[in-house]
Amino acid sequence: MMQGAREGMMNGLRRLVAAATARDLCAFVVPGPDVARARGLDFPAAGLHLSTTPRHANVLLIVGPLPPELVDAATVTYAQMPRPRAILALGATDISPLPTADAAGALSQSGLVAGVTELRRVVAEGAFSVDVTDFDAAALRTRIEYTCPMHPEVVSDKPGDCPKCGMTLVPKETSAGGHASHKAMETMPADPPQAAAHASHDHKAHGDTTAQYTCPMHPEVISDKAGKCPKCGMFLVPMEDKAEVEGGHDKHASHGAHKGHARHGTHQDQSGHAQHGAEPNAAAQYTCPMHPEVISDKAGKCPKCGMFLVPMEDKAEAKGGHSKHASHDAHKDHAGHSAHVEHGADQEHGSPGEHGGHGGHAVSQIDGIEAHFMSMADLTRDQPASPDGLKMEWIATPFGPFFPGMPGGLGLTLTLDGDTVVEAQARSLAGSALGASPDPHTLADRMADLTPLAPVAMRQLVCLALESATGQDVPLDRATARAAALERERIVSHLNWLAGFAAQVGMIPLERRAATLQLAMRSADAADVARRAGPIRSLLHRIRATPLMREKLAGIGQLDNTKVTTGPVARAAGVAADVRIGDPVYAALGFGAVIQSSGDAWARLHQRCDEISQSLDLIARAGAIETPVPGAARSASGSGVAEVETPRGPARLRLTLDAGRIAATEITTPFAALSGLIGHLTVQAELADALTAIGSLDLDPWELAP
Amino acid sequence: MSIAVVVLSLMAGSYFIAVLEGWLVHGRLSLTRPAISALALLGRESLVARTSDRLFFEAGPVLLLVAGLLAAAVIPLAPGLIVTDLATGALFLNAALAYVLVALIMAGWGPNGAYALVGGWRFLGQFIAYAMLIVMPITAVAMRAESLSTIEIVLSQTALWNVVYQPIGFALFIVAALGLAWLPPLDLPNAPGDLAGGVEAEYTGARLAVLRLARMFIILVMAGATVTFYLGGWLGPWLPAWAWSAVKILAVTALMLATGRLVPRLREARYLELSWKLGIPLALANIFLVGVIALVVPI
Repeated sequence: MMQGAREGMMNGLRRLVAAATARDLCAFVVPGPDVARARGLDFPAAGLHLSTTPRHANVLLIVGPLPPELVDAATVTYAQMPRPRAILALGATDISPLPTADAAGALSQSGLVAGVTELRRVVAEGAFSVDVTDFDAAALRTRIEYTCPMHPEVVSDKPGDCPKCGMTLVPKETSAGGHASHKAMETMPADPPQAAAHASHDHKAHGDTTAQYTCPMHPEVISDKAGKCPKCGMFLVPMEDKAEVEGGHDKHASHGAHKGHARHGTHQDQSGHAQHGAEPNAAAQYTCPMHPEVISDKAGKCPKCGMFLVPMEDKAEAKGGHSKHASHDAHKDHAGHSAHVEHGADQEHGSPGEHGGHGGHAVSQIDGIEAHFMSMADLTRDQPASPDGLKMEWIATPFGPFFPGMPGGLGLTLTLDGDTVVEAQARSLAGSALGASPDPHTLADRMADLTPLAPVAMRQLVCLALESATGQDVPLDRATARAAALERERIVSHLNWLAGFAAQVGMIPLERRAATLQLAMRSADAADVARRAGPIRSLLHRIRATPLMREKLAGIGQLDNTKVTTGPVARAAGVAADVRIGDPVYAALGFGAVIQSSGDAWARLHQRCDEISQSLDLIARAGAIETPVPGAARSASGSGVAEVETPRGPARLRLTLDAGRIAATEITTPFAALSGLIGHLTVQAELADALTAIGSLDLDPWELAP
Repeated sequence: MSIAVVVLSLMAGSYFIAVLEGWLVHGRLSLTRPAISALALLGRESLVARTSDRLFFEAGPVLLLVAGLLAAAVIPLAPGLIVTDLATGALFLNAALAYVLVALIMAGWGPNGAYALVGGWRFLGQFIAYAMLIVMPITAVAMRAESLSTIEIVLSQTALWNVVYQPIGFALFIVAALGLAWLPPLDLPNAPGDLAGGVEAEYTGARLAVLRLARMFIILVMAGATVTFYLGGWLGPWLPAWAWSAVKILAVTALMLATGRLVPRLREARYLELSWKLGIPLALANIFLVGVIALVVPI
C-alpha cells in the first residue's frame, strides 16, 4: 500500500484520477538534477518530468545514498508534498525517517525505468486509501525561537530585546532537533518554514531569563520578563547592569554631539559617533572568521585566507566596555575607527555570526528613544536599515539544499532585505569526511562514490598519490589516456553545469541540449568524443551568441584576480593558475591554460565553454581514454602527494602507506575556497543576480571535506 | 451566445497552450497529456499554508481568472462575435488587465512564503516597466481607427494591417504583452530556476489549477489583443472570419511561448530600464509618426 495515499474510498472517479496520476508522475529530485545527471539518469527518457518545487510534485525521487542532514531535509520536503505522494529511491537503502520507498531501484537508468514502471502500478492501485496515517518525524517538529537581527548568537525562547543592542528580537522557526546549533536556519530545509507539517511548539527552557527588564520611558516599570510596558506599550529593554547603564547615560547626555545621532539603531548608520560602543579597547584581540586558530593583537588580514580579521567577542569586555567611555577624549578620537572599517569588510565577507564588538548599541538605543519619542524612526528602529536607508523586515530564506538552480546539497541561506541579499550563509550538507580505507582499490572506489560530480578526478588523485608513494612509473601513453579520461570528465562536468545554469536562467532548450550531450559523453570513448565534438562545439557557439546573455551576466559576481587563486573561477579572472601547466603529460599534448580577463559570471561562462573546447582538442590528441585504476601497492611504505586539476580547481591528496596498506590520507578540495567567496559575491546584490553569481562558481558540495 | 462561444474558445485555446507548453518545457508532444495532468492535479490535495493570509490566498487566483475573462469580453473573434462592443473597448482592456497586478501581489502575499512574496513584488517592478508600453501603442492604434472600439480598430485595418502601418508599436506591444503575461524571458514572478515557482510555489491541487488556467487566459487575451490591434483581427481571405481569428491568435500565442526560452531571463530592473529609456521614447515616436501618416496618407 502507498504510504502517501490521499484519504478516500477508491470509487470509479477516484480510480480514474489515480490512473491519471500514475501517468502524470512529476518528480522532485533529491539531492538535485545535477547529481542525477552526473549519475547518468535521463528523466525524459524514463517518462518522468521534474518539478521545481515539492508542492507541485507527486514523487520524491531520491538519487543515491544521502548523508544524514540531507535525509532530514528530504523528510521535510516530503512533508511539503500534497497527497497522493510517493517515494522512489534509487540506490538508497536507508532513508529513515522517511517512510519506506514505494518503489526502489538500482542507481542506473535501467533502475530508474524499472522503478518508474513499478511506481506507476503502485500509484494507480493505491493513490487513495481509507486508512491513511499522518506522517510525522522528528525533523518536522519546529519551535519558535527569538533572535536578534544583528546578533545571530543571541537566541531566546521568549520575545524581548537583544541584551547587546536593545533591538526587538525577531521570531524564527527552527527545527526542534537542532537545539545544539543556534544558527537557526542551518537546519532549514528546501522550502520556507511554514511549509513544514504540523509543528509542535515545545519550548525548551533557556537559562538566561534572570535579567530584569524596564521601560525606557518609565523607569519605575520593572519586570522579570521581556514584553511591553503596561503604561506606554513600548518594548521593555533589559537592565543588564542598572548602575552601568545609568552611569553611561550621564556621560553621554553631556555629550552634545549625541543628540544628532539618536537613531543609530544599526551599524550601517556610520555617521559620527554611532559606533563608540564598539571601539576596541587596548586589549582587544582579532581573529579570522574562517580560521579561529589565527589570533592577533592587531587588525589586519588572515595569513591563511586573506580575509579581514574580526574583533574577538569577549563577553566580559562587551559588558564592561561602557566604563571605558568615561573620558570624553576617547569620543573625540574618532580617527581611530580602524575596528569599524574592518567591520564593514567582515560584513562583506558574509561570515555568519561574527559581529563581535557591537556590544555598545544599547546605550545609543535608549538615547534614541528619549530624543525622538514616537518618531517614525523609532517605530521602525527594530528593522535593520539597508544602505539605501529603507527599513524592511529581513527574511532569512533557505535556498538549499534542494533549491532548483543551485547545486544539490548546498545548504544556502540568504537573508533578504526586500529582494536584496544582505547576508549569505553557505555550507555543504553533502560533503563527507574521507574515512579510513586501508586498501587502495577500495579507497579509489569510495572516493569516486562519495564524489558523484567528479569521480574520475578522485580516482586519478588516488592513482597519482599511490604512484608517488611507491615510486612507480607509468608509461606515457597510459598516463596520457588517463589524462584524457580526466578531460572527458571536465567536459561532462562543464556540460552538467551548463545544463544547470540554463535551467536557472530559464533557457529550457539549452538545458535539454546540454544535458543530452552530458549524458552521452559520460562513458564515451575517444571515437565517440570525436563524433560528438561537432554538436558540442555548435552548442558552445550557440551559447556565446545568445542574445541578452551578456547583459544578464556582465558585471555579476565580479571577482578580481586577488580574491581567488584556483580553478576556472580564477582563470576567468585572468589568473593562469592550473595544475596541468607543469605536468609533462599535458606538456606533451601541447597544453596551455586558457584564461579570460573580466572575472565576472560572463567570463566564467566563457571560461567553461573554452575549457570544453580545449578538452575536446586534448582528447583528440591523446587518442585514447582510460579510466584510472590504482595499481597494487605491493608492500611499499612511504608517503606520496598528488595534485589534480579537477573541473572546479585543484584537489590535493597526501597518502601515507604502511606495508602496502594506507595508513593516513589528507585531502584538500576547492569547495572551501570557492564557497568562501559567496558572501563577497552576494552582499547587496539583487536576489536573481546573487543566485546567478553563486551558480557561476560551480560549487560541488559533495567534495570530500579535509 | 457570444459569451458561451468566447468561454469555449478560451478553454480550447488554453488546451492548445497546455499542449504547446508540454512540448516546449518537457519535450513531449501529446494531445491527451494536458487532460491527464489536469485530472491528476484536481485529484491532489489543495493545501493551505499554515500562517497564510487566507483572504488573499484564496482570492488571488480567482481574481486573476476574473481579470482574464473580463479582458476577453472586448476581444472580437468575428463580426458580431464579441461579448460586448464597448465604445471604450481598448481602454476597458487595460482596466481589466490592471487587476493582473493586484491578483499576483495577493497570490504572492497570501501564502506567507518568501519565494511567493518576492515573486509578487517582482511583478510590481515588472508592472511599472510594461504598463506604459501597453497603453502608448494602443493610443497610436486608436488614433488611426479614430475610435476605442475594438470592432472599429479591426475595421480600420481593412486596407493595411497595423503591423505594417506601425511596426514599432507592434514590437513594443509584444514585449509588453510578454511582461504582462509573465512569459519567458520575463517570467520573473514564477521564475522556475531562481525562485522555485514564486507566486505558484505554495499553491497545490485545485487552487493551482485555477491559477494556471487563469494565466493561460491572460496569455490568450494578450494574443487576442495583439491580433485585434495589429494583425487585422478576423480579416482575411478564403477562410471564415472566426477561423482567421483562431489561426492568428494561436500563431501569436505560439510565438509568445516559444521565443522567450531562447534567451536568459531578464531581471525586472533591466526590463524597467529598457522599457523607460528605450521603449517610451520609441512609443512616443510611434505616436508622432502614426499621427503624421494619418494626417498625410489616407489609408
